[in-house]
Amino acid sequence: MAPPAPPGAPPGPRPPRVSPFALKLMAALVLAAVLPLVPALLAASWLADNNAGVWLAPRVAERLAEVPGTYQELFRARKQLYAEQARTLARALPAGTAARRAALEQAVIRLPLLRHAAVLGPDGVVLAEVDAPASPEDAGWRAAPVEVTLPGGERLRATFAVEASLFAELDETRELAETARDMEKTRGEVRRSIVLVFAATVAGAALLAALLGYLMARSTARRLARLAEAHRRVAAGDLSVRVEPERGGDEVAALARGFNVMVGEVRQARDRIVYLEKISGWQDVARRLAHEIKNPLTPIQLAFQQLEARWRQAPGGDPAFGRLLADAGEIVRQEVGTLQRLVEEFSAFARLPDVKPEPADLGDFVAGFLETSPQLAEAADVSLVRAGGPVPVALDAGLMRRVLANLTENAVQAALPARARVHLGVARTRDRAVLTVADEGPGIEPSLRPRVFDPYVTTKESGTGLGLAIAKKIVLQHGGEIQVGEAPGGGAAFTLAFPLAPAGPMTAA
Amino acid sequence: MNRAAAAAALAAALLSTPPARAAPRAAPLSASVAAVKDRLSATLDLGPAFPDEAIRRLGNGLTNVVAVVVVVVPEDGGPPAAATGRVVEVLYDVWEEGYTVTVRDARLPRPARRTVNDPAALRRLLADASTLDLGPLLLLPPGRFRLEARVEVNPVSRELMERTRELLANPVVSGRPGAGSRSVLGAMAGFLLRDPAPGDDVVLLRSRPFARAEVGLP
Repeated sequence: MAPPAPPGAPPGPRPPRVSPFALKLMAALVLAAVLPLVPALLAASWLADNNAGVWLAPRVAERLAEVPGTYQELFRARKQLYAEQARTLARALPAGTAARRAALEQAVIRLPLLRHAAVLGPDGVVLAEVDAPASPEDAGWRAAPVEVTLPGGERLRATFAVEASLFAELDETRELAETARDMEKTRGEVRRSIVLVFAATVAGAALLAALLGYLMARSTARRLARLAEAHRRVAAGDLSVRVEPERGGDEVAALARGFNVMVGEVRQARDRIVYLEKISGWQDVARRLAHEIKNPLTPIQLAFQQLEARWRQAPGGDPAFGRLLADAGEIVRQEVGTLQRLVEEFSAFARLPDVKPEPADLGDFVAGFLETSPQLAEAADVSLVRAGGPVPVALDAGLMRRVLANLTENAVQAALPARARVHLGVARTRDRAVLTVADEGPGIEPSLRPRVFDPYVTTKESGTGLGLAIAKKIVLQHGGEIQVGEAPGGGAAFTLAFPLAPAGPMTAA
Repeated sequence: MNRAAAAAALAAALLSTPPARAAPRAAPLSASVAAVKDRLSATLDLGPAFPDEAIRRLGNGLTNVVAVVVVVVPEDGGPPAAATGRVVEVLYDVWEEGYTVTVRDARLPRPARRTVNDPAALRRLLADASTLDLGPLLLLPPGRFRLEARVEVNPVSRELMERTRELLANPVVSGRPGAGSRSVLGAMAGFLLRDPAPGDDVVLLRSRPFARAEVGLP
C-alpha cells in the first residue's frame, strides 16, 4: 500500500464506493450472461404460446367440443337402424304364436344387437317373447327399445343393445373436451406466468453475473485504486511514494512493479538534476572566491619580497628585526602558498571540464589507475577484486582518475596515522557496472552521510570539502550514481554505479 | 368436480374487492322486490343472459356450468349489501336427447335435478329466478338500491386453477401419464399463475333503482 500522503500534497478525489472498473466488468459479465438469455426468453414466449398451445389451442378445444355432437349423430343413426330392423322383423312375422316365436328366435340369432323381442297383444299381454343368450359383452350395455305396431293392434317390441364402450368413450371424450375448454380459458395466464418465470430466470442470471463480476473486480479494482492514488501523489510531486510490491503475475502486478521502477528512476533523475544545479552554483561561488583571493596574493608576495630586499640592501640594521622579518617572511610565504593551493583547488572545482566518455572496461581502468598511482601504493595497501567478465562502460578516463584519486586519498587520510587498507571491487549487475571503494578507517557518521557530497563539507582540518563533491558531479555526468555506506569492517564504503555500455564496439556518449 | 365450492369461491370473489380488469357492461334486468317476513324477496328475469346462441352452446353435449350471483347494491355504487347465488350444471344427453339440469343452491339441502327436453324449456328454467331470498330487510342500504345479476358460463374454478398449477409444476414427460418430473421453474410458473379475466362469458344485468318504500321500509 502507498505510504500516507505528505502534508503538502493536495487531497485526492474521494474514491467511489464501486469503482468504474468494477462497474464495467460487472456490466460485461451481465451482458455476457443476459444476451444469450434474451433469445431464450423469446423462445420461451414462443414455446409457451405455440408448443404448449398444442394442448391449449382453441381449435383443439373446439374440435373436442364437437365430439358429443358426432356421437349424437351416431346414436341417431343407430336408432334409425334399429327401427328399420324392427320394422323389417315386423313385416316378416308369421301368424301363430309358435311361428312368431320361432321367427323371433331366428331374428335374435340373425341380429346380434337384438337382445330382446316380444309380441304384445292389444291389451299389452305378451304373446311371444325371446331373449338373446347371455353374453359377457352384455355388461354395461344400454337398451334401445323400439316398438312397431302390427296389424290388429298388436305391437312388436324389440330391444337392441348399444355398446357400453360407446358411452364410455363419449364420457371420456366429454371430460377431455371440458378440460380443454377450461384450460383454454387459462391459456393467456399460463403463457404470462411462463414468460414471467423465464424473465425472473434472466433477472436472476443477471444478478448472479453482477455479483460474480463485483467479486472478481473488487480485488483488481482495489489494486488499481492504490496505483491511481500513488500516481496522483507522484503527480503532486511526491516521488517517495511506492506501491506495495505484488507477487502476482498479472498485468496489474507488472504495472505496480513498473510504476515503482519508473518512480525510482524519476526520483534519481530529479536528484541528479538538483545536485548538478546545486554544484553549478557552488562552482560559481568557488570561481569568485578564487578570483577574489588570488588577486591580492601576488601584490602581498611582491611587497614582502621588496621589504626583504630593502632589508638586505641596508647593512647594519637591527639583528632582532632581521630575525623577525625572516620569520614573518616564512609565515607569509607558507600562508600565501596555502592560499594559492586553495585557489587552485577552487579554480579546479570551478573549471571542471565536461565529461567526454569513451568506451572502456571498468576493471581494466581501475587496474590501470593502480598501476599508474605509485604514491597510492606507497601510502596504502590496495586490493582489487574483479567479479565476472568484462564490464563495458563509457567513461572519461581523466576525470574518473580524479574520482578514484579523491576517494582513495580520503581513505588514506582517514587511516592516518596508520597505514590505510583500501579495497576496490568491480562487478556488473543486469544493467549496471558497479565500482566499490572501501577502507578500514573510522567510517562516516550516519548523520553526516546525507551531506557528505555537498561542497565544503569535510571532517578534516585541512580539507576543502570539495573532493567528494567533485567526485559526485563527475559520476553524475557519466549517468551514474554514487552512494556512501558502511564497509563490513566498519570503514567507509563508496558504491559507484554506471550504465553498462551496449555490447559490441563501444562509442563515446 | 365440486361445483358448490366453485360457486362459493365465485361469490366470495364477487363480494370482495373487484379485480382491476374491465367489468362487463350491464344490461337491463327485469326484477321485482317484495318483503316477505322481514326479508327481501326478489323475482328476476334472467332471460337476457341466455340468448338463443347461449342456449345452443349449452346443448353441445358437455357439462356446462352457469354461475348466477345476485347482489343488492346501493344505487350510487358501493359494496354489495346482500348476495345470493346458485350454480346450475347443464348436460345435454346426446343419447336421450334431453337436458339434465342440476341446480346447486346454498339454500337447498341437496342439489335439485330436473330434465327438460327442448331448448325453450331450458331457457325458461335458467331465466327463472323467482322468490330469491336476499336476506333481512335491515341489511338494505339507506338509500335506493338496485339488484345486479352476474351470470357467467363455465367460470374458471379454483379446482381448475390448482390443476393447471399442478400441470405446470409436474409436466407429463413424453406424453406418458404419471411420468411427471417436478419442475422448479414450473412450480414458479404455477405460483405466478393468476385467475384469468372473465372474458365474454360473463353477462351483467342491472335492475332499475328500488326505493326502500317499495318493500315497506321508511
